[in-house]
Amino acid sequence: MSALDKLWQALDERLELEPIVEFIRHKVVPTHRHSWAYYFGGLTLFFFFVQVSTGILLLLYYRPTAEAAFESVQFIVTQVPFGWLVRSIHSWSANLMILSAFAHMFSVYFMGSYAKPRELTWWSGFALLGLAMGFGFSGYLLPWNTLSFFATQVGTDMVSKVPFAGAWLLKFLRGGSEVTGATLTRFFGFHVAVLPMLTSLLLGFHLALIQRQGMHVPASLEQESKRRKPIRFVPNFMMREGVVWLLGLAALAALAAFFPWDLGTKADPFGSAPAGIKPEWYFLFVFETLKLLPAHIFGIEGELIGLGAFAAGGLVWFLVPILDRGRPGGGRGRTFFVLGWLVLAYIVGFTFASFAGVFK
Amino acid sequence: MARADEAPRVSRRSALSWLLGTSLGATIIAALYPVFRFVIPPRVAEAPVNRVLAGKLSQLPDNSGKIFRFGAKPGIVIRTPAGDVRAFSAVCTHLNCTVQYRPDLQHIWCACHNGQYDLQGKNISGPPPKPLEAYKVAIVGDDIYVTKGA
Amino acid sequence: MRCSTAVATLAIGLATAARAAAPAAHAAPAAPAGATADTCLSCHATLTDERLRKPAELAKSDIHLTQGITCAGCHGGDPAAADRAAAMDPRKGFVGVPAPRAIPELCGSCHSNAAYMLRYAPNIPTDQLSQYRTSKHGLALAKGSTDVAVCSSCHGAHGVRPPSDARSPVYPTRIVATCARCHADVALMNKYGIKGNEVAEYEKSVHYAALTQKNDLSAPTCKSCHGAHGATPPGVSSVANVCGTCHVIQLERFDQSPHKDAFAAIDQPACEACHSNHAIVHPQDSWIGVADKQVCAACHSAGDAGATAAGALSGALANAVAAEATVGARVARVKRAGMLMDAAEVKLQDAQQAYIMATVEIHTVTPARVEKQTAAAIADTVAADRDAAAAEREIRFRRTGLFISLAVIALAMVTLIFKIRSMER
Repeated sequence: MSALDKLWQALDERLELEPIVEFIRHKVVPTHRHSWAYYFGGLTLFFFFVQVSTGILLLLYYRPTAEAAFESVQFIVTQVPFGWLVRSIHSWSANLMILSAFAHMFSVYFMGSYAKPRELTWWSGFALLGLAMGFGFSGYLLPWNTLSFFATQVGTDMVSKVPFAGAWLLKFLRGGSEVTGATLTRFFGFHVAVLPMLTSLLLGFHLALIQRQGMHVPASLEQESKRRKPIRFVPNFMMREGVVWLLGLAALAALAAFFPWDLGTKADPFGSAPAGIKPEWYFLFVFETLKLLPAHIFGIEGELIGLGAFAAGGLVWFLVPILDRGRPGGGRGRTFFVLGWLVLAYIVGFTFASFAGVFK
Repeated sequence: MARADEAPRVSRRSALSWLLGTSLGATIIAALYPVFRFVIPPRVAEAPVNRVLAGKLSQLPDNSGKIFRFGAKPGIVIRTPAGDVRAFSAVCTHLNCTVQYRPDLQHIWCACHNGQYDLQGKNISGPPPKPLEAYKVAIVGDDIYVTKGA
Repeated sequence: MRCSTAVATLAIGLATAARAAAPAAHAAPAAPAGATADTCLSCHATLTDERLRKPAELAKSDIHLTQGITCAGCHGGDPAAADRAAAMDPRKGFVGVPAPRAIPELCGSCHSNAAYMLRYAPNIPTDQLSQYRTSKHGLALAKGSTDVAVCSSCHGAHGVRPPSDARSPVYPTRIVATCARCHADVALMNKYGIKGNEVAEYEKSVHYAALTQKNDLSAPTCKSCHGAHGATPPGVSSVANVCGTCHVIQLERFDQSPHKDAFAAIDQPACEACHSNHAIVHPQDSWIGVADKQVCAACHSAGDAGATAAGALSGALANAVAAEATVGARVARVKRAGMLMDAAEVKLQDAQQAYIMATVEIHTVTPARVEKQTAAAIADTVAADRDAAAAEREIRFRRTGLFISLAVIALAMVTLIFKIRSMER
């Protein structure tokens, strides 16, 4: 008996690992013509791992104060060996993570995977997307450059429109009435402590649910998946996922090569806002919609109505597992299928239109 | 037992495995190499914040001055005829030329428009509208450290 | 505000301005009489006629009163007398409102007395009156003009504050407005052969901008060039000296230029010829040349030696500016991309400094001297450009490295796909 086998035996005696191994050995992933959609969750996870590791690396040199933040990022990208690469990868991976999370969400949505018994998976995924956007929003400020400073000013200002709690929320986010070094310190805390903790917990829960319940197969594809042989999770699915992860890595390397992330210029809190301030692209559809609204609708502030509508829309999206009663013959409701396409078209349309400069 | 025509397939498989192992290994090295380089700080071990080594005391005789740099911005450290060491921004407050110490005038002087500052950095003659920004000087052994904004 | 009203600020106390008055009877007023009750102040403070009450109120902040020199010090009379007639008895030296013509002598009775002034301010000058007599104001007053500035026109009559007090009308930030009270009055100025647009012109100048926008109290105001008490326009030969008190190097360079003698020969004031006098705006490189609206065209025309030199000068400056702009933009672009460009920025600063030196050398109007500086500026930009190019090469090198790793990743991907295929066959 080799040393490795002995070690395994010793661990198994104490921890009863055999059932877990048995589970993994028998775990399969169904195949059908839309099984490509099963890879987006794993891809999002890959980008999350990249974020954690590059984030830890950046922490070695980053300084979260208004005086030193920009200088320390400048130090990282100009002086530290491969600092430019780590920083570029962290920025790009953040964006690709959100993108693949969106792809994951919509693919899950259109396959109706949110329905009973997977409501909890949908809800935890929804919360994870919110956390990812929180990561993006808080991380955007950390280099303390002009663009991020003013974008944060605009972004946090929207919070003040929330009825009743607006003023409190604004103070909570900014650490004062203005965006200052105090805001930077807070955002840093959110970005490296609060959000990672919440994300780790929720992510663990989300993944545990998927292991417990297995992959969902939409009603319309059930026949096909019964006909086709499911593939084993280990090693076949994992190797396929490996190809996708390598693709993600290649995308990061290519983006870092072709579009190294800019350093920008140091934020001057007393300077005037530069023209064309934009938030990160995944907030653009909200940003542009709010800009389109008239100042007042029926005597209520337009922005407030807009934010209210987004909140209501988000709530509907969140409650889809309950609202969608499904069709009598099995499968998801047509209404929500159409709604999904409308939402997707709206988000994609507004984001692209914003990049194309339609809203100038 | 392997048949004769299966031999090439086996060798093709092992070649594939070798190629896979090598390329995956290379990918991992390509990913880890920057990380190992990154964690070791560069020679300038800190982000330049507000403190620099401006020069050696022994190389700054009485009644002389020396230009040093805060990043791209010049500073001037002077030693007065009485032996005091002082440091200022070397950016003239008139048109941003770099000032210098003039032992003959015992003043800080700007060559561009003959602006003059006294040994406290105060503008005393010519067009400069404001005094030079004063920095804090700390002498550690023979080293002159200059701190900005303190 | 009209000048006559300015002069009349003195007369604000009394309605009977026409009353003739002799200069104060005493050469030097008595030393402060201690804190005895001053009936001038106590009585005037209760009067309902504002013109009579105001001086008593203003006097409280007056430097003279705080030093113990009472109303009677200038107006005469008896501040101890309780009775109105006794207090303002001409026999006790009461003069009422001093006539404008009498004011310089009245103020000078103390301010020209060095021994007396020493008691209050050891370093105060005592030559104001003699300077005033040489000024355009003093000369006109001596000829009988009454609408010229006397001491009180600028310093105020009651409530006089030291010139270092920011509330004083002669404080650097306020003196332009004080002079403008008369000198912006075109009708009054035309009487004396002055245009009256000088203050408006001055307000366009870099000097005024430095004073008001940068709060540079050393920026020249009216009195810096014209003098304060001896106010008079600098003559043709003294203009350069006046400007040269601050612009030392430019004057030194000008004195080395062929223009010095040439200008003197035709009675052309030195600096003013190109920079004008009151509306001194920031000089532009585009001024150099003999085309319409260019400064050299006043004397030179196309084809002469001056025009050739001007062409060389403006060409040298233009080359330096163009080089700085191009390289500056390139360095900024590379810096934004995250490269360390400190060294290049230092070189660009040196280039900028050499360019500024070139604009000083312009005053020699000698192309060789200007070109020496612009050549230095261009050399610095070339060095900065080399740094930018090196940084761009580094960016390309990084890109190559990433391409190689991209190829490695792609190979891993492809072999993995083949592996999966061969496994699932």
